[in-house]
Amino acid sequence: MLLNPAERDPAARSRLIGALATLVILWPLFQAAEVKPGVLFDPGNLKVIGYFLAGFLPPETGAEFMGYLAKATLETLAIATAGMALAFLIAVPMAYLATGAGREKATLNPVTRSLLTILRGIPELVWALVFVRVFGLGPAAGVLALGLTYGGMLAKVYAEILESVDAAPARALRHNGAGRPLAILYGLLPQASKELASYTVYRWECAIRASVVMGFVGAGGLGQLMDQAMKMLNGGEAATILLAFMVLVFAADGFSGWLRRALDTPPAHRASPFGWRSGGLGLALVVGIVASFNYLEIGLKSLLTVEAATSIGEFVAGFFPPDLSAEWLARVGKGVWETLAISVVGTLLAAVAGLLLALPKWRAPFSFLLNTLRSVPELVWATITALAVGLGPFAGALALALHTAGVLGRLYAEALANAPPAPGQALRLAGAPGGFAFLYGTLPGAAPQLIAYTLYRWEMNIRMAAILGFVGAGGLGQLLYFELSLFHHAQASTVIIVMLLLSIAVDQASAWLRRAMR
Amino acid sequence: MKFSTLRRMALKGAVACAAITALPAFAADAILRVSAIPDEAPTELQRKFAPLGKYLEAQTGMKVVFTPVTDYAAVVESLATKKIDLAWLGGFTFVQAKIRTNGTAIPIAQREEDAKFTSKFITADPSIKALADLKGKTFAFGSPSSTSGSLMPRFYLQQAGLNPEKDFKNVAYSGAHDATVAFVAAGKAEAGVLNASVWDKLVQAGKVDTSKVHVFSTTPPYFDYNWTVRGDLDPVVVKKLTDAFLKLDPANPEHKEILALQRAAKFIPTKKENYDGIEKAAHAAGLLK
Repeated sequence: MLLNPAERDPAARSRLIGALATLVILWPLFQAAEVKPGVLFDPGNLKVIGYFLAGFLPPETGAEFMGYLAKATLETLAIATAGMALAFLIAVPMAYLATGAGREKATLNPVTRSLLTILRGIPELVWALVFVRVFGLGPAAGVLALGLTYGGMLAKVYAEILESVDAAPARALRHNGAGRPLAILYGLLPQASKELASYTVYRWECAIRASVVMGFVGAGGLGQLMDQAMKMLNGGEAATILLAFMVLVFAADGFSGWLRRALDTPPAHRASPFGWRSGGLGLALVVGIVASFNYLEIGLKSLLTVEAATSIGEFVAGFFPPDLSAEWLARVGKGVWETLAISVVGTLLAAVAGLLLALPKWRAPFSFLLNTLRSVPELVWATITALAVGLGPFAGALALALHTAGVLGRLYAEALANAPPAPGQALRLAGAPGGFAFLYGTLPGAAPQLIAYTLYRWEMNIRMAAILGFVGAGGLGQLLYFELSLFHHAQASTVIIVMLLLSIAVDQASAWLRRAMR
Repeated sequence: MKFSTLRRMALKGAVACAAITALPAFAADAILRVSAIPDEAPTELQRKFAPLGKYLEAQTGMKVVFTPVTDYAAVVESLATKKIDLAWLGGFTFVQAKIRTNGTAIPIAQREEDAKFTSKFITADPSIKALADLKGKTFAFGSPSSTSGSLMPRFYLQQAGLNPEKDFKNVAYSGAHDATVAFVAAGKAEAGVLNASVWDKLVQAGKVDTSKVHVFSTTPPYFDYNWTVRGDLDPVVVKKLTDAFLKLDPANPEHKEILALQRAAKFIPTKKENYDGIEKAAHAAGLLK
């Protein structure tokens, strides 16, 4: 297969330079993430994780523990449902204010837009950590945290969906004298309702995952139980909780998939489009939300008293002014660098592993593996990887890699299956071996999508890397957790602001990248 | 189907509104709300508190509700925002609570043992024989807000010329004293430090293999844990609670069980000034600003 010089890759030089440049850029990041693959195979560490994993069997099934587990599972479901209800209440008016849809001139409301950015720019885990302090102990903090972050996300996406549908009907209504609310209600919502509902259901699924994670900062539910089991290195309990969690995630996944498919079925040919399904769902929704709020016993009334308002005021006031001393900024800067490094290394490792897992033709066992990888949240992986490689940024990068490999592997497999088959087939017919046919035929066709998916996950991983430190995996999260524990609010405030700025920067950069790639 | 979605969304909103307004008001007056810093597994704390809670119910005539938590700082914050009335605090968390409540939080009683409390440095590595050998090792504290698992050991390490952030290879916070032992026993950290009382309990219960994990250094004594009430709690209730703790008598079999679970010989009165030393140490160690 040796080609003569004239037939060599004409882009070889630029590719070589590109590869070298990438290495030069990546090297310091790998350094900052303290990547030491050797420790993975260190006999001492292997023994520790071996003991811990061996402890997974048999999973704990004692009656007392199963009682705790059932209660925690219900709590997790209730937090997610109540949080989504709150998010929806926040999102609808905010989306109405923020969207340019139905306006005479397409203006954007900068105040609402920036408020939304702040709401969703600060990770729900950070909100939860702060709310646990302000509103006291228990799931109220988790519900509020979910409500705010997801309210911000829903509002942004609702606003964008309303802007993306055909504006002509709304414009016609307005020209005939209808007000903006009516124009949106009758002109835009009918076109957008399916997408709106589908996104809401998808977010509820995400909320279940998120509410588990929030337990790690004491906001109730399965996460809190998991945190305790992991800290005590109680493998049996950890295994049972993990299994319960995976069942919950798979069930939510299946349920939300079914709901979204149901939205795709055309309405029945009868006078009223409402069938048993819509009726049943409406009822289930009402019952679910009321039951969630009742189960959690959130004393929202007590949050609305003057006394509560003053104590919240005092608490918030403690965060201002943020500590902007050079010394502290230097430490936060180091935290940002470490966070970036964790995200880059984690995403790269995940991309490689994901691609390898996406390749095999016989999908069943690999799909199962990928699903398992992605159903365990990054924070939980981090508690396990910290055992394998010790606490620190490398544990964080590995945790990101494990979860992201599951997500990316699945997306890659889809992208590869959907890639245009012709070039690969042509190469194979011309006598090229399978590997070459894949590399030069199939892969280039799928590449833009693979890159887009990877960048999208990297964007999410930067946010995630910022909070992995809550379980000791380095970066900004570790700083924040420590300072909040010690009531150093001015310092914590700086970290939160930097997290917000990082999130906004990532948003802008990814929007720019997407435009550039188009 | 489009309209059903709409209606569903509208319903969802309406119901959430209704659910919020229909929520029950917060706790009634005759409830004493108690919590404790989670220096041990929360399930263990709950088990430990049950008989003491019954005793306090009988002594005060109030319903006693115990809320377990996983976060030290949340207990301090809850005391400051009056979400709890009585809390089991460590020396350092008491100082934090005193500052957060502008000096109004009142310590009412402490265990006899808390007047001369110590921390134990432990390791599974035979080559570590003194604090100086910790250089370049991985080390586990308890919670960052712990007195005996973080602040005082940090202070005494400083006195010995060691700066954890600079001199240790990696500093971890296990979150609780029994978790620190698990970290060291499993080799997740090469050495760690925890409160003497929890160490003794684990050794007595045979929960730690002392042939592997051993104590190589003990701190000088300092004041630690106490029971603290929020400053504006009814003085009659405060008096009842203080008396209830001081009345616990090891000669009474019922009291003996309560004291044993609290790992106390008996309870003695305490005062704010006892914790001034801790406050100074916290400033010196840079944990208080």
